[in-house]
Amino acid sequence: MWTPLQNHHLSPIQGEALPVRESRLIELHGVTKAYDGAAGKFMALKGIDMQVDAGEFVAVVGKSGSGKSTLINMITGIDHPTAGEVFVASTPVHALNQEQLAVWRGKNVGIVFQFFQLLPTLTVAENVVLPMDFCNVYSVRERRDRAMSLLEKVGIPEQADKLPSDLSGGQQQRAAIARALANDPPLIVADEPTGNLDSQTSEAVMQLFADLAVDGKTVVMVTHERDLSRYFTRAILLSDGAVVTDPGGQNE
Amino acid sequence: MNSPRWKKLQRDLQAARGRMAMMALAIAVSLFGVGTILSAYTILTREISRNYLGTHPASALLELDRVDDSVVEAVRQRPGIVEAEAGAWVMARVEVSPNEWMPLLLFVVKDFNTLRVNTFQSEDGAWPPPEQTLLLEREALALVNAKIGARLKVQTPNGAKQGIAISGTVHDPGLAPAWQEQTAYGYVTPATLAWLGESDTLHILKVVAKDQPSDIAAIDSTVSALAVWLKGQGYTVEEIRIPPPGKHPHQSQMTSILVMLLVFSFMALVLSGILTAAMIGGLLAQQIRQIGIMKAIGARSSQITSLYLVLIVLIGMAAVVIGLPPGIAAGRGFARVVGQLLNFTLYSEAIPAWVYGVQMLMGILVPLLVTLNPILRTTRTTVRETLNDYGATRETFGSRGLDGWLSKIRGVDNTLILALRNTFRRRGRLLLTLGLLSAAGGMFMTGINVKTGWERYLADAASDRHYDLEIRLNSSQSEGKIFSTLTSIPGVQKAESWNFAPAALYRPDGLDIVRTYPDGGHGSFTLRSAPPESNLMGLPLLSGRWLEADDTDAVTLNQNAKALFPNAEIGDTLRLTVEGKPAAFRLVGIVKQILTPAAAYVTPNGYAVATGQSLQSTNAVRVVMSEHDANTIRAVTGKIERALEAENVSIKVVISETMLEGATSGHVYVFIASLILMSAVMAVVGALGLTSSMGTSVIERTREFGIMRAIGAKSRTVLRNVISEGVFIGLMSWVFAVTFSIPLSLGVGYLIGNLAFRAPLPLILSPFGLVLWLWVIVIGSMAASAYPAQKASSLTIRETLSYI
Repeated sequence: MWTPLQNHHLSPIQGEALPVRESRLIELHGVTKAYDGAAGKFMALKGIDMQVDAGEFVAVVGKSGSGKSTLINMITGIDHPTAGEVFVASTPVHALNQEQLAVWRGKNVGIVFQFFQLLPTLTVAENVVLPMDFCNVYSVRERRDRAMSLLEKVGIPEQADKLPSDLSGGQQQRAAIARALANDPPLIVADEPTGNLDSQTSEAVMQLFADLAVDGKTVVMVTHERDLSRYFTRAILLSDGAVVTDPGGQNE
Repeated sequence: MNSPRWKKLQRDLQAARGRMAMMALAIAVSLFGVGTILSAYTILTREISRNYLGTHPASALLELDRVDDSVVEAVRQRPGIVEAEAGAWVMARVEVSPNEWMPLLLFVVKDFNTLRVNTFQSEDGAWPPPEQTLLLEREALALVNAKIGARLKVQTPNGAKQGIAISGTVHDPGLAPAWQEQTAYGYVTPATLAWLGESDTLHILKVVAKDQPSDIAAIDSTVSALAVWLKGQGYTVEEIRIPPPGKHPHQSQMTSILVMLLVFSFMALVLSGILTAAMIGGLLAQQIRQIGIMKAIGARSSQITSLYLVLIVLIGMAAVVIGLPPGIAAGRGFARVVGQLLNFTLYSEAIPAWVYGVQMLMGILVPLLVTLNPILRTTRTTVRETLNDYGATRETFGSRGLDGWLSKIRGVDNTLILALRNTFRRRGRLLLTLGLLSAAGGMFMTGINVKTGWERYLADAASDRHYDLEIRLNSSQSEGKIFSTLTSIPGVQKAESWNFAPAALYRPDGLDIVRTYPDGGHGSFTLRSAPPESNLMGLPLLSGRWLEADDTDAVTLNQNAKALFPNAEIGDTLRLTVEGKPAAFRLVGIVKQILTPAAAYVTPNGYAVATGQSLQSTNAVRVVMSEHDANTIRAVTGKIERALEAENVSIKVVISETMLEGATSGHVYVFIASLILMSAVMAVVGALGLTSSMGTSVIERTREFGIMRAIGAKSRTVLRNVISEGVFIGLMSWVFAVTFSIPLSLGVGYLIGNLAFRAPLPLILSPFGLVLWLWVIVIGSMAASAYPAQKASSLTIRETLSYI
């Protein structure tokens, strides 16, 4: 499997070669992102190398403006790197075009946003069915049942037929997690999912993510909140677009 | 359609139902306009043709010294002729109220039951008319204020005034309507004509050429060959009338008006298309984050694009459902009105299937085409861009010169400054709104301007005539006798001789072929003597000069006559046939004369040479009275008639200003009414556009209002801010609309003027139109921005800030 990556790893520039693991899900190599801003070129990411294995629950932490969101946008393909390579489940994400990305993302990545971002005119269950509909996975009959079982899994089956505006913040975020799981993606990416929740609700939502990791999903989460660190298997600290500490990576 | 994305579409439609309804309504209103005109057009062009061709119009009418049965029979056998028939006409007069006479064109029919050329049908009363009675054209009945059975006082050129009963009415769709021409049409037998004092000899030979109805050149050659043959047989061939084949006298006029209305209604449709684009643009701006989310969870651009395209198609279909049936109904109604005005019967109101097809296609395609680009642009935006969109990415305030200037405004109320600056913040939207309102306003004002220009033209034409009455005589009389008779009548200030003779283009074969219709007016061409020193007519010069006293062979044409000589230039020699004799004149000038058939003006000397008539004789006199009000003119006209009668002078026709006014307004009434209708459609679409774009921009800024209120603005301040912005945009659009209406009015005026008068309409910016549109725009923009702003300002701060 993925021999190109293997070769890449063994190159002398990378230094000490890592043992090749079949379970490796995310590979970033020399990822750089530059923006043209009003004050000239701004380097959001400076040559990031990073690996995440399947089943890990990784936190990306750092100050505001350190490049956290940009980094996960590279992983989800929401943004393109200026230089470098991004592989997710052996797919070269950096090489896909917008249309390929949409299809790939729909099947392989579940995204959870800080502001939940449920579509306001669809019920909770319909929001969960939407990714299945777009990617045309599961038969039309199966979809509703699957949505219900996902809502049960996140603990809000009774909210299925309500509109998002009728739900509390925590309930909306649970619904958003259910939606992220709709197409059974191997990777869940969350951008400050608890940023808008009270601490008690945050704990419950974090537990939900932790359970997902236990179930074999890989979870990458951007967060501010240090006191949630016990849930993570690893934390990657970013500063000024570079990895400062990565317990699982080469920088340590 | 049960999947969540289609449910989303359905609920978006529901959520924005006000705006969706407005879009559908705007398209529906303009579809209504297009549908009305298009269906009326198809009905009218078909039915006018059917009516006119149904009369079996003659290809040519030859005036001979006599037309007897044997020649009719022989002509029928001539090559290229399918039908021949004898007839006659006499221009008489009828008294419509005491001492007020109107032209009465009497058609003489030998056998009403075997009529085959230029036929007409019995409408009411007797058929054929008993001896010593006449039938009247149905429209003429109202014109002479009489009913069947009433007696009319009638006078033929050679007869005395005589009472004659109306025994019935007919419908003659081959003639221009009596009320428009201010001429009554009567139908009598030869015996009745003899009883009225005329010869009962038929002198008109009506023929139908084989090449009927389209090829005028073929008709010309067939008929001229026939004329040569007739001359060989010993007949005298005088005037030959070959009217435009297969065309009702008002057909071109009607078609050109309908085409112009069609152009206006298409403009309205394009306008509603722009409106739809603006509204969809607003909807997209509002939903851009939702689009981003959908793409983030796996939607392809094409899936999202199809959602919005289906939305547009649904709106288009709704518009078709709303706009098409009333458009068809109104088109039929409009056709009925025009049919009645032009005096023809609608045998069928069927509208061809393609009209329905075109409307359905337009209702759906036009909005689809105009929204395709904004939809594609938005759905192709990358997820990152959509998620980062806070409504101020590219078009940020503060980057351009204008903004710099706006930032320096001081000393005005702060809210107003904010409103001013806000106006320029989203330039794309501003341009679209301005474009929409300017286009609607420009077209609205163009409608009013063209109407005003038309009216001004007619008023100018009337003011070009500085006389009160024109009297045409049946035969030339001594000028001295006529003048002394006239000037001895109290109230007559001045009389001038303006002789007239029918003219035709010179042909080498010596034939006198004209393009005149049987009514004698449409398509006619006359030679007139004009005293060069006279100030009775002040026609504006288009080129060259007016006649001068020492001119002998000089001629000045009006623009309709100029059209008969398309290649002639000032200084060229024009060859005419006048009363059967060739005549040549040097073209010295061209004048503009509105709603007057082709006329060539020459000096009295020139006229005498061309016609062989003595300089001291006259057959037409123009009279100036000392008072110009309608009552005086009527009273003096009565005195003139009696005085001339006492002198045994037979009057052909008396044309007063009031009659001319009736005739000219009769020709343009329909046109003006429909222009106003079109302007109203523009105004409705424009007002809808205003409401929707204001509404959209308020909705887009809901979050901003929250911020304003969070930092201490009262609801009223927010409201005032929004309304000021709306009014400001409205006022700007008004300025653009006025600017835009100038070239548009010029263009439309040029097109219409040339079609109707062979001269472009003057450009007049109607103050009425300017002020009316200003009112519409100011009140409209206040109302349009107040409602959504009211709604937005009643939301709590928390609600506005969490608004997606």
